[in-house]
Amino acid sequence: MSPTETTSTEPSREEERPGANADAPAARTRADRFAQELAELKIPDPAAGRAPLWLRLGALLMVAGAALAVAAYALSHGTRDPLVQRDAITLGLGGVTAAVAGSALFLRYSLTGFLRFWMARQSYDIAQLADRLLERDARK
Amino acid sequence: MSALFELRDVRAAHGRITVLHGVGLRVAAGEVVALLGPNGAGKTTTLRVAAGVHPAESGRLLLGGRDVTGARPRDLARAGVCLIPEGRGVFPNLSVRDNLLMMTFTGRTRAEIEEVAFSRFPVLAKRASQTAGTLSGGEQQMLALARGLATDPAVLLLDELSMGLAPLVVGRLYEQVAEIARQGVAVLVVEQFASAVFGIADHAAVLVRGRIERRGRPDDGLRAELSALYLGSPT
Repeated sequence: MSPTETTSTEPSREEERPGANADAPAARTRADRFAQELAELKIPDPAAGRAPLWLRLGALLMVAGAALAVAAYALSHGTRDPLVQRDAITLGLGGVTAAVAGSALFLRYSLTGFLRFWMARQSYDIAQLADRLLERDARK
Repeated sequence: MSALFELRDVRAAHGRITVLHGVGLRVAAGEVVALLGPNGAGKTTTLRVAAGVHPAESGRLLLGGRDVTGARPRDLARAGVCLIPEGRGVFPNLSVRDNLLMMTFTGRTRAEIEEVAFSRFPVLAKRASQTAGTLSGGEQQMLALARGLATDPAVLLLDELSMGLAPLVVGRLYEQVAEIARQGVAVLVVEQFASAVFGIADHAAVLVRGRIERRGRPDDGLRAELSALYLGSPT
């Protein structure tokens, strides 16, 4: 038998187990519900799972943008040629734009993970508080 | 019988090391399949791929007949795939009740979850206020199973249920697993100790170095082959 051949091609021992047939309707119900839920499931594009890549790109843009802006400032101070100075202004603005875009990317992908756990913790705390309040009211 | 859970020709790696080389498995509703094999065979990785926690390099994961390869683990969990990891995965500093309360994310109320857990494992009701870390190994495993059942699973993935437990306790836990399967849940059990799961498994597959080397009914023939695999073939 090859590794990819499957187990259930052989006859099942289901019928040997007492009570297995009696529970068959329940089995169908849960299995049907499961299949239905999976049919509605949206499977994300694999490209959407590249959060670490975006995070690194954001950090890189932040650093590179800032470096570009500083380099442009130095360039504009090193010359009296207005053409070169205008180039430096363009470079500087590009650098600032890259740094702002990088910061936004970095914040977006670093905060998502943190906020997810923070919200889970908040939900848990609120549920506990609600339980405590209900218990206190029940005791009154 | 149509499969509720199926892995088709799955390959997976840890870094540059390929761990699974084309693994195929099927589990139907109400069926218990045991995945056996020595340490480092890739059993846990298979379960992690099945739960969507570990990405497969190639191959397919089919649930309820639908190809869900690449689906997020939380979506699979919400639909009804439940992984009980090796080491039980309970919160040791929280009480039994709070451990169960964590499962309210499924939309079930606290009362419903406690009803499911305490009716199946009455000892947990007695220990409801006790912190999970102070429970015995068997009770912690019961708590892990109870937490899993609270999610109303359609597919239950169990990793080394018998780890560190006395044979008597393991027997009782597997009786519960068989009962869960009888209610229509597809159960895939990973075990290193075949004797623990042979009593309840409908089928067994033996994984060695990332490949399914043998599959069939859990009978004496398979047991003998497993012994040869673990201890070396008799000369």
